[in-house]
Amino acid sequence: MSVLDRICNEFPDNPKAMGRFYRFFEQRHQGQADWGPAGTRIGTACVQVPEELIYAVGATPERLCNGAYTFDQIGSEFLPIKSCSLVKATHGVLAMQNRPDRLPLVVLPTTCDQKKKSGVLLEDMGYHTWVMEMPPYKDTPEAVEYWRASVAKLAGELERTTGRKITKKGLRDALAKTQAAKAQYRRFHQLRKLDPAVIWGKDAFLVTNSYFFAPIEDWTDALSQLNDELEKRRDTGTSLGGKKAPRVLFTGSPPIFPNLKVPLMIEELGGLLVTDEVCSSTRLLYDAPAPVEEGKYEWVESIADRYLKPCTCPCYAPNEDRKRKLARLVEDFAVDGVIYQSLSGCQLYEFEQKPVERFLAERGIPMLYLESDYSPEDQGQLSTRIEAFLESLKTKKRKRKL
Amino acid sequence: MNPSYFVGIDIGSTTIKAVLIDRNQTIQGQVKRPTGGNYHQNAKEAFDQLLAEADVDPEAVGYVISTGYGRKLFKLADETISEITANARGAVKVGEGAGTVRTVINIGGQDLKIIALDEDGHCSNFAMNDKCAAGTGRFLEMVAVNLEVELEELGQLHADCQATPVVINSTCTVFADSEIISILAKGHSKAEVVAGVHYSIARRIARLTKRVGVDGIVLFDGGPALNPGLVEAVQTELMRELLVPQYPQMTTAWGAAILALEAAQELHDA
Repeated sequence: MSVLDRICNEFPDNPKAMGRFYRFFEQRHQGQADWGPAGTRIGTACVQVPEELIYAVGATPERLCNGAYTFDQIGSEFLPIKSCSLVKATHGVLAMQNRPDRLPLVVLPTTCDQKKKSGVLLEDMGYHTWVMEMPPYKDTPEAVEYWRASVAKLAGELERTTGRKITKKGLRDALAKTQAAKAQYRRFHQLRKLDPAVIWGKDAFLVTNSYFFAPIEDWTDALSQLNDELEKRRDTGTSLGGKKAPRVLFTGSPPIFPNLKVPLMIEELGGLLVTDEVCSSTRLLYDAPAPVEEGKYEWVESIADRYLKPCTCPCYAPNEDRKRKLARLVEDFAVDGVIYQSLSGCQLYEFEQKPVERFLAERGIPMLYLESDYSPEDQGQLSTRIEAFLESLKTKKRKRKL
Repeated sequence: MNPSYFVGIDIGSTTIKAVLIDRNQTIQGQVKRPTGGNYHQNAKEAFDQLLAEADVDPEAVGYVISTGYGRKLFKLADETISEITANARGAVKVGEGAGTVRTVINIGGQDLKIIALDEDGHCSNFAMNDKCAAGTGRFLEMVAVNLEVELEELGQLHADCQATPVVINSTCTVFADSEIISILAKGHSKAEVVAGVHYSIARRIARLTKRVGVDGIVLFDGGPALNPGLVEAVQTELMRELLVPQYPQMTTAWGAAILALEAAQELHDA
């Protein structure tokens, strides 16, 4: 059974408005692999590439991060075997398609060494790549300047690649598009706080994952309809998963369709994924830029700041912001426990496991750490761990009520 | 008819264990058989055998909980539960006479688990080995095959070891295989190798326990706890006395049976 079939058919109470999101995936994963908006597309390999600049040159961003095991295996032919599945799969799909003409530019921020180095290999394959320099810290004045310069350089490269100038009007229109999308996402974010829950986390991951490739206006409209339906559910008292279901927060390496292995397992085993702190989902959409209404360069700077300041990627050292954000999400979403997944070989997330676990333990929040990759072979062991963790959360929940 | 019996069935990667209890949580029957290739069929046969041997009518069984690696495949179960929760429940029961069990070390066919229990006997934290079969029952089986001895002889060989146990660094079944061959080629005895293997597993357990901590009475169960050599090695490495139950393989199934009894009572009360 395909992952999409599991998501669509194995759960009760899928909202009708999810149908449009399911179709995005049918078109992309069961139809044409390059399905998406018409016109020029710019590939991005990370959440840190400012999409507003791409829209401002009349192109569309396409997030290339890939979740397919098949492409992970193909990527293993090109990259070191111990690299993470995500980087290997992203590399694998580009090698397999071998269509440098389809993507006139691929932007790779230096958030992780593996992405950075795989970009060099992509260049050898004929892809035109642009490495976007990231500072290793984010809260020093030097880091802010460095990053702003990096964003400005990307703006120049986008102008050269497309032959179109970035204008104030272009930026304003681009921001209108992304702000509209984010406004709907923030509405969605609020609806996910409801207890009892009105939407499964597996559906929420499809909503955010389809933002990678679906036409932005369609996506925004689809989410607006979904939000309307969820509000009705709230008013009519729909409740998913039952009262006993533990509310779980997911964090760590990003789950990307079809690698929803762990998120799906959590909900199939009786948990409810109420929120997440990952760059393929909440981190992608929650924060929006607040532009300064002056010249074009101030706009670029305020866009740059929006990407740097709220970012909680473990590539920053220190990364205290991530802990603060986790604590806040736990409180706002009435979370019973945190599941932290690292993709094997994703050293940055592996590194932050212990400090995050300690931080949560000090606040009495249980955390389960899992290491996995895209291969299906560890399902049995993972499900034992996840189920035992959920059972212990249920026991704690019951005890609190007594 | 008011149901008087409850069943826990633990479908492990190597062995199926089934326990029948009455309303007082007392064991009225137990069965053990290889898991084999057909989980559901073999589990069903274990279930039938359990009832037949205890001369209990299937109608008298109120609730069945399956646990273990193959728990989802046994269709006759009323409920499934993870082996960690079931093991924790069983450990509390088994340790009743001795005091409060706060730590469980379990070695199964392909798992190695450390479970920390809170004062109420609920699982508060756990650690498991990664996806390879390092330091598990499967690993001991492979060692026995390589040394051309029976699994049951490992404990005696450990006791027979007159020299220092050899150091085996690798607990990966594949790498340990070639490491053991090279140790034998250097002229070390089987007893030294067996003791070395036991200590390498014990060190691995000691490392895993650091993740969750060791407290109170420590119960050691799972099939490999039948091996006195391994028990000794783990006691040495942990520097603690271990409580080994009379039937170390049955703890988890017993726990599942008790949880079945509790689930039936909860249903009845509701």
